[in-house]
Amino acid sequence: MKRLAVGAVVVASALALLPGAGAAFQEEGTLRIGGMWALSGPAAYIGSSSRGLAQLAVDEINEAGGVSIQGKRVKLQLYAYDDACKAEEGLTVVRRLADSDRVLFSLGPTCSSVAEPVFGILQKRLDDPADTGLQFLFFTDTAIKFGLARISPWAFRNVGNEPEMFDLTFKLVRERHPELRTAAVAYESDFAHSVSTWKGAVEPALKKYGYQVLEVVEWRFEDTEFGAQTTKLRKANADLLVMLTHTFSTCGAVKEFKRQRVRSKLMIGITSAASTETMVGCGQAVEGMIIPTNFAAVTPRARALAEKAWARYKADSNLHSVPAYENIYAIKSIVEKVGIRNEPGTLLQDRRKVRDALARLGTFQGVLGPIKMNGDDDPVKPRDVDKAVILVQARNAQWTVWWQPPEMGKK
Amino acid sequence: MSALLLDVVQQTINGLMYGAFYALLGIGFTLFFGVMKKFNLAYGPTVMAGIYLGLLPLYVWKAPIWVVVLTCVAGAVLVGLLVEVACFRYVAPGNELAPLMTTIGMLILIQELVVLLTHAAPFEYPPVFGDESLELGPFLVRPDYLAILLAGLLFVGLLYLLVEHTAFGRAMRAVAENPRVAQLLGVDVSRVNTLTFVLTSAVGGASGFLVAMTFGALQPGIAGWMTIKGLVVIVIGGLGSIPGAVLAGLLLGVVEFQALWFLGITWRDIFAYLLLFAFLVLRPAGLLGRAAT
Repeated sequence: MKRLAVGAVVVASALALLPGAGAAFQEEGTLRIGGMWALSGPAAYIGSSSRGLAQLAVDEINEAGGVSIQGKRVKLQLYAYDDACKAEEGLTVVRRLADSDRVLFSLGPTCSSVAEPVFGILQKRLDDPADTGLQFLFFTDTAIKFGLARISPWAFRNVGNEPEMFDLTFKLVRERHPELRTAAVAYESDFAHSVSTWKGAVEPALKKYGYQVLEVVEWRFEDTEFGAQTTKLRKANADLLVMLTHTFSTCGAVKEFKRQRVRSKLMIGITSAASTETMVGCGQAVEGMIIPTNFAAVTPRARALAEKAWARYKADSNLHSVPAYENIYAIKSIVEKVGIRNEPGTLLQDRRKVRDALARLGTFQGVLGPIKMNGDDDPVKPRDVDKAVILVQARNAQWTVWWQPPEMGKK
Repeated sequence: MSALLLDVVQQTINGLMYGAFYALLGIGFTLFFGVMKKFNLAYGPTVMAGIYLGLLPLYVWKAPIWVVVLTCVAGAVLVGLLVEVACFRYVAPGNELAPLMTTIGMLILIQELVVLLTHAAPFEYPPVFGDESLELGPFLVRPDYLAILLAGLLFVGLLYLLVEHTAFGRAMRAVAENPRVAQLLGVDVSRVNTLTFVLTSAVGGASGFLVAMTFGALQPGIAGWMTIKGLVVIVIGGLGSIPGAVLAGLLLGVVEFQALWFLGITWRDIFAYLLLFAFLVLRPAGLLGRAAT
């Protein structure tokens, strides 16, 4: 009898964990969306901010009544998971989101090193029955390594274009500081974003604008000792110091620079470092550092968003996290226009409808201004966006605008 | 002095300084192994927990540094005792696998708790010994690394006195030699084990404070890093040998810095593990073998 009772509990528990075979999304009044971010590990600050901004968008939409589908207003339900910036975790999570949670689409991943293998298991050729890849839509907010969206027609990204961002950066630096001629570079050799930024964005830009690269040093993403590399940078004595390293190692390195009296005339940083996290961790040591970004609280709307996200979720608003907010609103708009059915039996068709609409989206409204989504047939960056670039500079423990597009004003 | 020689000497100085922290880590691991004959893979996160607990008086109460140090030590001791209760105290003798697995679990648990509570934000310790290197002729010496080296020597001296010249030290050595015989002779083995946890955790807490000052920004991943380095050091030094752990830590530091300077970051790690493999194959007992503690 006892065994029967235990067995019944076990079976009931197992059934409870299965996706509800009888639950209909439209019937239950929800639209399921997903997100996979680095919520633990060294990239957790970035991932948790993206999650916070995503949750803010979900809450705002739900508080305003939800999403209109088939004449009924349904609430967004966010299924968020931690991929810990690890490929194996990401591959597990994407299956869960796609098959168990059965979400319409997913935001994330945070790390390019996760996005690459995850996008790799998606379907490569639409409408090809021989292609058994996962038909699951990503609208990525953070993974910024150039070219990732090319991997699959199911991968879309609202991320910065780093080759263009750094081209603009060095063009402006050359114009404003023509006396600066030499550069030294530091990057994280075990972090995909850092390596791709150096190889794909900064190295070509430095060459294009005639900078002589005197020294290139490497360290690991989680390193805590930078003495040897700093000595090499000190010996190089370059005009520009280009730090393509993320916050944790950047903070350690710039403090070592101070110890060894490394003085560059100008420091340039990686896009991800333009965040509150860098100010908190590095303090005065990054004074004067210039970074290209796609988000700064330079308009009333942007300021209001940043304040609200911090107040509600302790989420930092930056070029990685704000796209999560923008993407959810973009998908909401698409869903309401294309007319999905939002039923478990039509999930694949619904995902495909939204995917196709996203590819045809053209321009949509971001927090700072219009964002243009490139279609499937863009020869250079299909399913990636074009959006305004701002250059920020660390001044007195705050990010201030060093340069912004002339047309960007108060909105 | 030629430029090459200058570089070699500077990196040797850097390596010895940095290696002192490896030595301190190794001392904690090896002291523990020497008495309990088990690996405590939660030692690294214990040290990390002490470091993060020290942030409370630093950031919340704006307390003086000596309070922060005491908090690091007390925090590490508290977490160490929790590890002892959860992973060792109730494990049956002869079950070698259980503490290994539970301490791995504890490593992950503590690390993720820190991430959860801090959102992995980059906190920092103030540079108590100044933020500029000392110039000794053509060489630069970091004052915080020098402090770690001196602290390491102090801890080794104090541990030697404790182990060799106190009743508790005699009890530790007896338990390390043969816990059953020690028990028959009236030694409270359980109490010795618990106090070993207290001692190693206290050493870890103090070391953790010193090394936290050298980090640019704290991040929870240091738990795994400290665990790996500590294990490498005790294998090279010889399981259970405190002098061996000291020598191994210094050796590892020098090898890493020379490899990093002359060959690059990838070779730093390759040479570190080649050193480990060389000892495992050629001298498995380590530099000074297993010594009575």
